Amino acid sequence: MFSRVLQRVCRQSYVNNQNVQYVLPVCRGCIASRFSSSEVADGSKDSATSPAFNHGSESLVLEREVACPPHLQKPQAWLESLETRESKKLAIVDLHPDVFGTFPRLDILHRNIEWQKVYKIIDVRKEKTRAECSGGGRKPWRQKGTGRARHGSIRSPIWLKGGKAHPPRGGRTYWYVLPAPIRAWGLRIAMSIKHAQDNLCIVDSLDIPSSDPQYLEDIAKERYWGESVLFVDDKPLEEMSENFMDAINKIKTYNIISTEGLNCYSLLKHETIVMTLDAVNFLELRLMFFTKQYGSPDLRQDLPILRSQLKMDPHRGRSYSSKE
Amino acid sequence: MGSMGNRKALEMVRSMPRVSFVNIRDNPGSKKQKKIRGQGGSRGGESGRGRSGKSKRDTRPPIGYEGGTTPFYLRIPMFPFYKNFATRRQYLPVSLEKLQHLIDMGRIDPEEPIDVTSFVHAGAVRINVFDRVYGIHLTDEGADKFVAPVNLEVQWTSELSIAAVERSGGTISLGYYDPQSLDILSHPLQFFRRGQPIPKRLLPPKDLVDMYTDPSKRGYLSDPNQIKEDRLLLAQKFGYELPDLTKGSRRALHRLRKDPRQIFFGLQPGWIINLTDRAVLKPVDAELQEFYRA
Repeated sequence: MFSRVLQRVCRQSYVNNQNVQYVLPVCRGCIASRFSSSEVADGSKDSATSPAFNHGSESLVLEREVACPPHLQKPQAWLESLETRESKKLAIVDLHPDVFGTFPRLDILHRNIEWQKVYKIIDVRKEKTRAECSGGGRKPWRQKGTGRARHGSIRSPIWLKGGKAHPPRGGRTYWYVLPAPIRAWGLRIAMSIKHAQDNLCIVDSLDIPSSDPQYLEDIAKERYWGESVLFVDDKPLEEMSENFMDAINKIKTYNIISTEGLNCYSLLKHETIVMTLDAVNFLELRLMFFTKQYGSPDLRQDLPILRSQLKMDPHRGRSYSSKE
Repeated sequence: MGSMGNRKALEMVRSMPRVSFVNIRDNPGSKKQKKIRGQGGSRGGESGRGRSGKSKRDTRPPIGYEGGTTPFYLRIPMFPFYKNFATRRQYLPVSLEKLQHLIDMGRIDPEEPIDVTSFVHAGAVRINVFDRVYGIHLTDEGADKFVAPVNLEVQWTSELSIAAVERSGGTISLGYYDPQSLDILSHPLQFFRRGQPIPKRLLPPKDLVDMYTDPSKRGYLSDPNQIKEDRLLLAQKFGYELPDLTKGSRRALHRLRKDPRQIFFGLQPGWIINLTDRAVLKPVDAELQEFYRA
């Protein structure tokens, strides 16, 4: 995928060398075209999962390209709406089996949660060494002849009130970085578990008619969402709808997060996850990126450069013009 | 859901309580047991080292000691089997079969010239110039099945590979990249981010000049007319009809060649690429221009 990007960046037309003319790569075509669900063999029967299937009236299954081999069974979810209080099911959405139906590796999830809890810890405890304890410079009694044990200082570690031999010295960090593929895997597992346990709800958008927090609580009650709900959208927080933000701010257990900040801890902490279709689209591409890196650590550095300097995110399908 | 195993596992999870912080744990054996001091645990006290003696005090003689006689490993005289081995040039192998596979899977685009960058970004090779890697060696495994018409540039190849590529209607050339240039070619974005001017590609060292000026090896410094003749000779030798590259939709592709001092197509030495502003900065000073043009 990146070779195509680079070929456009590096091998510019020898006709015009003035500016590096950047052409948006058709990234989704690169990988997705191989496994497009619309490329099902002609001999197959029409199934409910085929997006090309048409009753003649409006199709129930959302036409959505899932970039996975066509023989795999895709998990499905209802596409709902927050516009009305009553639950309105708009369509059935096919989901990527490796993102929403991956094996529930609880140990990987545990590693992610532990990492999130531990890496921020700074332990500021500090205790005195024998040098820092007051006194203890003089030899307490002479080496020989007293009948007592030999000692050099009253503050050595074996003495009461002496210094500690290997004390904590303040400013100890437990920082470490869990590899990016393991973190992406953790997210996939968390989302698969949420979907399997009926705690995932996919909505078309987070627009609500009023900014009354009671409205959201009524919706949650109607749809059995439970005490805590995490809303996930693909936009940065500044661009989210004001109605929605006003409502959310008044409810303690309802939280909103952008896909940028999505993490296993938040996914497990909240009982229900409500995700927009945009977020699902983005996550499927971005999380599958980490499974397809062909094991090359030197290419992993290209993605941050593409995002921060070229302002293009291959998994968003458009140039990023945000403040990143 | 994917496979059956995944589906069954998720069905099991579905029937269990909600997965939360209190019911997940790591695999048994994942956490190493801490050191134990004192008489308390199994490795406490003497820590498995026994009572006083050389074993406990770490004053045993070295491995191979034979009680004083000259040990075996010192009796045998040294011979320089591996002298200079570490400094020899390495070329990472990529077979024609692999190249065909990459093209079929869409990881390499045959409509664009193929060079080291293409291979690295397709994930076929990992180039680390500090391992004395000087490029790519195109091996001839899969020569019978190779059918893609490509414009290929590698650093080492054999006569059979050249024949296989040319029979399919492609071109192949051998191009030398000094380690700095190869590093830049393999990791272009990371180089552009540095904001340094693109350096001139160096010419090959003495012992490689013969290879890169040899038309039968399609060296990039050899005479193009002699290469033309050699293509015919090769076709006769292996018994295939040489496709005409001057006709067809790909003729522009097959004419693309890099200048000996050029690392990237379309970019000259001395230029600085500004990724953020999407701009190319070229030297204006006459001295610099002359230096980079040389």
